[in-house]
Amino acid sequence: MPTHTPSFPDLLFEDAARLRRWEAQLMGHLDGAGYRELHPSLVMRNPVNPTTVRFFDGDQLVALRWDFTEALARTLVRRFQEPPRRISYAGPVFRRPANSWDPVERLEVGCEHIQTDPDQRAEADRELARLLMDVPGLLGLEGCLLHIGHAALLRRPMEVEGIPAELGLEVARVLDRRAIHRAAELLDGHPAKDRLLAHAEILLSGPDGPGSLADLVRGPYGALLEAEAEQLTRVLNLLSAQSPKGLTLRLDLGDLRGLAFYTGPTLRLWAPGAQRDLASGGRYDGLYPEMGRPWYAAGFCVRLTTLLELGDNTEGGK
Amino acid sequence: MKPLLIALPKGRLEEELLPRLRGTAFELDARALKSRKLRIPMADPTMAAILLKGADLPRYVAGGVAALGVVGSDILDECPVDLMELADLNFGVCRLSLCAPDHTTLDQLRGKPHLRIATKFLGATGRWLRQEGITAELVPLQSSVELAPVLGLADAIVDLVQSGKTLLAHHLVELTTLGKASARLVACRGTYLSEPDLIGPLAKALAALLKAEPGR
Repeated sequence: MPTHTPSFPDLLFEDAARLRRWEAQLMGHLDGAGYRELHPSLVMRNPVNPTTVRFFDGDQLVALRWDFTEALARTLVRRFQEPPRRISYAGPVFRRPANSWDPVERLEVGCEHIQTDPDQRAEADRELARLLMDVPGLLGLEGCLLHIGHAALLRRPMEVEGIPAELGLEVARVLDRRAIHRAAELLDGHPAKDRLLAHAEILLSGPDGPGSLADLVRGPYGALLEAEAEQLTRVLNLLSAQSPKGLTLRLDLGDLRGLAFYTGPTLRLWAPGAQRDLASGGRYDGLYPEMGRPWYAAGFCVRLTTLLELGDNTEGGK
Repeated sequence: MKPLLIALPKGRLEEELLPRLRGTAFELDARALKSRKLRIPMADPTMAAILLKGADLPRYVAGGVAALGVVGSDILDECPVDLMELADLNFGVCRLSLCAPDHTTLDQLRGKPHLRIATKFLGATGRWLRQEGITAELVPLQSSVELAPVLGLADAIVDLVQSGKTLLAHHLVELTTLGKASARLVACRGTYLSEPDLIGPLAKALAALLKAEPGR
């Protein structure tokens, strides 16, 4: 082949061995916590998302699995009346990336916790956070950061102010880039512009400790977001007490990626020197009700592709 | 320890940017600047600048080669890369405008059965055409776009306008403004979020410096 494309990377011997070792370590970790593997098909039907890798199977448009969470959900609602509580998964997903040079084929290991009782949600979130906090140690990574955010911190103020859904997503997209000046342009002429921008300033003040929560409570939507602020304080205090050596916990109120999907606390794991997050997840209580099941869910996935890119810079890469 | 790289643009924005860095930790080494070197030491030896064409700069930052960069918003709007856009630096301000030969009106352009618009800004022009419900052929050009209507390659152009003198010299007039452009401070997402204690304060200091008028 005359040109080299990184979109579908081939893993030669050492990298293939690393991949298998990491998969085994992480799946063993999840298995030890009671998560059972589910392996949804690599081919998914009804691909509405334009970022998928699509092709025709006869006269039917199909796509390579673009997202494990959606693939699992489609399988579970079809096959189970009562959901299995703890599920793990491992394998590739195929999705067009934001940067043209990033890989389309990405290797992941992850898990999902499903609840039928809303009162079980807080404990499930803590369980998932604890599992994720163990990941850097399992992979031999030092100096990682775990960012904790909350999807409702921007969504609820925008709903209260009557921001149309499409505009809301656009505002979230530019704020995810920390581009508050672009949010100002988008909200130009809206009566809540000044309030929302003052709120955005607080959210984007930078990954920080509990101080940013105090600002949030004193801000224009402090009363509205009181429950979320309390929840984040509780989560941060609890997890800080259990945080393994070499992992730093930080609040990142400006983590707005996936706002259309996440509904509650979010987690994002960063390794020093990585250009992409090593793992991400959170609570997405809207997914199963959309598919006709009154279930609540949260989960995270570890991106082994990011870990491979870190390569020999990590203990885990050796 | 390798110096932390900051990507700075060559050309239009460079002239306004460099005076703002003088006398600070970000000042570029004058001798290296006069040479043909593209990697220039800064006054603070823990940092160095790389001078890049605007169109290439986002790639260097998004790929993590440079931790921070300064680039025009017109460039950012044309290339879909995953960057943090930390501040509008409010210099290098210009308009992205639809321009046509003297005495042409927008309605005349709308009425053309086969409208041709020459531009470097294919993304922004395409978005504006869709928003306005106008069908046109886009003629991609990289430079000297003003020549296209003069020589009959296109009916109109979409280009950046700062003073309007180049338009005047080619007997062109602005018909409408598609948007505004200015210099932006950008950061590599991975570096910014995984090393916030290093990059955050540096980005704040650079933004404050570049937003200030030179000499103040």
